[in-house]
Amino acid sequence: MRAGIEEAIGFYITRRHPYNTAWLPVRAHSMTDHPSNPVQAQDRTASINSASSAGDGRGGPGDETLLERVKANDQTAMTDLFDRYAGLVYSVALRVLHDTGQAEDMMQDVFFQLWKNPGSYVHGRGSLGAWLAVVARNRAVDVLRRRKPSHPVEDVVLAANTNLASDVERNRMMEKVREVLKGLPSEQQKSLELAFFEGLTHAEIAAKTGDPLGTVKTRIRTALISLRKAVQA
Amino acid sequence: MNERDHISPEDLSLYAMQALSESEAAVVRAHVETCSVCRDEVAQAAGDLALAALSAEQHPLPESARQRFVERVAADAKTAGRASDAPGVPPVQAKPIRRIYASVQWSLVGAMAVLAFAMLLKIGDLNREMKKLKADEAQQTAHAARAQQVLDVLTAATAQHVLLTAANAHPVPGGRAVYLASTGGLIFQANNLAAIPADKTYELWVIPADGKAPIPAGLFRPDAAGDASVVLPPLPSGVPAKAFGVTMEKATGSPTPTAPILLAGAAPSAGE
Repeated sequence: MRAGIEEAIGFYITRRHPYNTAWLPVRAHSMTDHPSNPVQAQDRTASINSASSAGDGRGGPGDETLLERVKANDQTAMTDLFDRYAGLVYSVALRVLHDTGQAEDMMQDVFFQLWKNPGSYVHGRGSLGAWLAVVARNRAVDVLRRRKPSHPVEDVVLAANTNLASDVERNRMMEKVREVLKGLPSEQQKSLELAFFEGLTHAEIAAKTGDPLGTVKTRIRTALISLRKAVQA
Repeated sequence: MNERDHISPEDLSLYAMQALSESEAAVVRAHVETCSVCRDEVAQAAGDLALAALSAEQHPLPESARQRFVERVAADAKTAGRASDAPGVPPVQAKPIRRIYASVQWSLVGAMAVLAFAMLLKIGDLNREMKKLKADEAQQTAHAARAQQVLDVLTAATAQHVLLTAANAHPVPGGRAVYLASTGGLIFQANNLAAIPADKTYELWVIPADGKAPIPAGLFRPDAAGDASVVLPPLPSGVPAKAFGVTMEKATGSPTPTAPILLAGAAPSAGE
């Protein structure tokens, strides 16, 4: 895997209310190893390469450059960012919501918020594309939960990384992730699917699948670790 | 912090994914806020979510979605006074000019906003004062109209003057005598008189001013309404009256009044 492209870049924490559209990213603390973490943070950071100055692989400006221009009210730069990541954001929102109208509304809103408040994303410390993908997923899940209220999670900590500025690398990363997920046991795939894209809690998943809660937790965790290992391989 | 103090990685992953119940998430949140180890693990898990997001099948944007966004941004830039860059202008060179321009614009916008706010406050005060004046004027007009109505009723020639009394009150007998001593002319009218037996009659008396004996001035009986009158009874002329009285006598009358005196009235001086 080529350094600086497909690896995790940095970590951000976005603290937000589930129904609050405001983004309040805060720089996360430096990575340390969790006692039970099967992947060593040192290994991750060793391959981390900043995407702040990386371009789109075609000689175009990097995310950081475009964001700086957006802060200076450059509509063209904002349009460039839209062209770069709108497809990803829209597809994630559509995958969760299954409604093209709602997905576009969300996509439009996500980018318009970035236009209104480009400082909400702290550039230079991570991947804008990954951050947008997670923001889109979480906001889509918020919409789902609002439509069928269950147990909204408040004050959630999120993180996003991975440089996705390059179309080629983004497509390659997508292909790899899908390949990894396809290779997972079907129970893990289903549990991750229900939690991540359907927005179900682990208790709801257990009730739906008939599996014990602990089993559901382990399957989700294992699936995520598999993804992490695959991109670090 | 030993291992037992940490949240399990499984729960931290679920927490990052918002897949815990509210109560479970509250416990994890409280811990993460004070534990950098678990906070970092949450960050890693959230980074994994970005990878999971990439598994979503990619779809082309809806038609004109890009155009809608571009127009929305342009409209916002226009509304908010944000200037767009001219194509080909290096951002580094454009920044100072744009920033100064934007600064002036924002200053003007701010001043106009303050002025508009002050004007809104003043307009509000004037509107409130105008409303108060209009209310006072309406109240005065209403008072004047009522006074005019009162005057119209009191002075109308066709107005009916009615004296009302208690519905079940017993009417008080009374009488009015008009006496001209020089000719001995007397007109007497009584009302509300109680009915009297068939063998009785009312008799009117003139009490002379010189102290002589009362002079009979006529017999009368009330009608069904209690009314009665005596008009020009035979009386001597030139006898000033001190008073008048009414007594009940036998049907044929009496040469002297019999007590009690049912009605009595002192006569005023001539011309009063």
